[in-house]
Amino acid sequence: MRVNIKSATLLAGMLLLNSPYVSAEENFAGWLFDFSRNKEVSPVTDKQYRTECGDCHFPYQPGLLPEKSWQKLLTEEALKDHFGDNAELGKDVLESVREYALANSADKSWHKRSRKIAGSTAGLEETPLRITEVRYIKRKHQELPEKMVKGNKGVKSLSFCDKCHTQAASGVYDQDTVLIPNFPDWND
Amino acid sequence: MSLIKIAAGICLASFSGWVIADTAVSDVTKLSPTSMYSQNPQSYMLALNEAAPMDSQANDATIEAAAKLSAQSAEFEPPFFSGSNAHKYMGLGTLILVAATAMTAPEEDEGPTVSTQSRTQGTHQSLGRLTAAMAAATVTSGLLTHWDDFHLEDGIADPDNLHVLLGTLGAIAMLNAVSKAPGNGHPGTGIAGGIAMGAAIKLTW
Repeated sequence: MRVNIKSATLLAGMLLLNSPYVSAEENFAGWLFDFSRNKEVSPVTDKQYRTECGDCHFPYQPGLLPEKSWQKLLTEEALKDHFGDNAELGKDVLESVREYALANSADKSWHKRSRKIAGSTAGLEETPLRITEVRYIKRKHQELPEKMVKGNKGVKSLSFCDKCHTQAASGVYDQDTVLIPNFPDWND
Repeated sequence: MSLIKIAAGICLASFSGWVIADTAVSDVTKLSPTSMYSQNPQSYMLALNEAAPMDSQANDATIEAAAKLSAQSAEFEPPFFSGSNAHKYMGLGTLILVAATAMTAPEEDEGPTVSTQSRTQGTHQSLGRLTAAMAAATVTSGLLTHWDDFHLEDGIADPDNLHVLLGTLGAIAMLNAVSKAPGNGHPGTGIAGGIAMGAAIKLTW
């Protein structure tokens, strides 16, 4: 088989575009030429966000909620009563955390699960404030019996993502990485 | 036939990146927020809002049990073989076969000897059939393993819905190309099928 020079040049060009340096930004062109896996949710990369949110609970990736949800959740007033607890932050810290959450929210992300979340929350009159209120998330968990979540001492609530999603900290929520405490054969 | 080779080059180039990328994630796991979370009693304060309140003794016991389970979870390794993985590799395999089929297409303008032409024709024909079969198998495995991932109510722009649509159309195009080969027009249909399949994979990659 004769090697076609045009094909070889094209192949080399595509390989160069394949480089992660070309596709660092989350935009259409970046997504198109980025061949790393974008199936999940973009992991938390901001140290301050991880520390400030992770001090009290699992640092949920911003890509798990749309921008409008973060806008409502991350205000001085809202954090005074953050689901029943006072989670107030300093002004500068709040600004930085909010900025990171808004910039990486589901509707700004090209990661597949975030796009699914953005799609299922778009056009809703009511802004979801909990990840567990998002239609896509609800649907993914609707077949789980109560004994595996609320009735399970190792889980207690759907809010504890990382109890079952073993790679949740990396933004991976794939079914193959799920291990429900006390129910090793949950998928059978 | 240069168009076929260009398409084959694109398929191969795309595939090369996808294979290298695999499921690697960034190093954030090194900081292990999960482990910090499970060892810190405060971590239960906010998320417990969805569950019934507990007394402090019960809370301590829960934290201890959770720490044990967290260790189990850290040891957990996802299965190497699963329905989802099988579907993924079959899809990527289809793309390789599309490229290989296109690259083995006999050159019409080069005037090869009769024996060379028939040998190339045979390889191209076998690869074409194998590609179409693999594409059909990929679609079937996807329907079986991801049946709950696509919903019409999410609309056509939903990545999973588009994935199913393009993947199925791609497979149908490949089957059609094989059925009308060696007639004129079959290369175009085959290439269109390969591009549709590639786009389907990219959308949910």
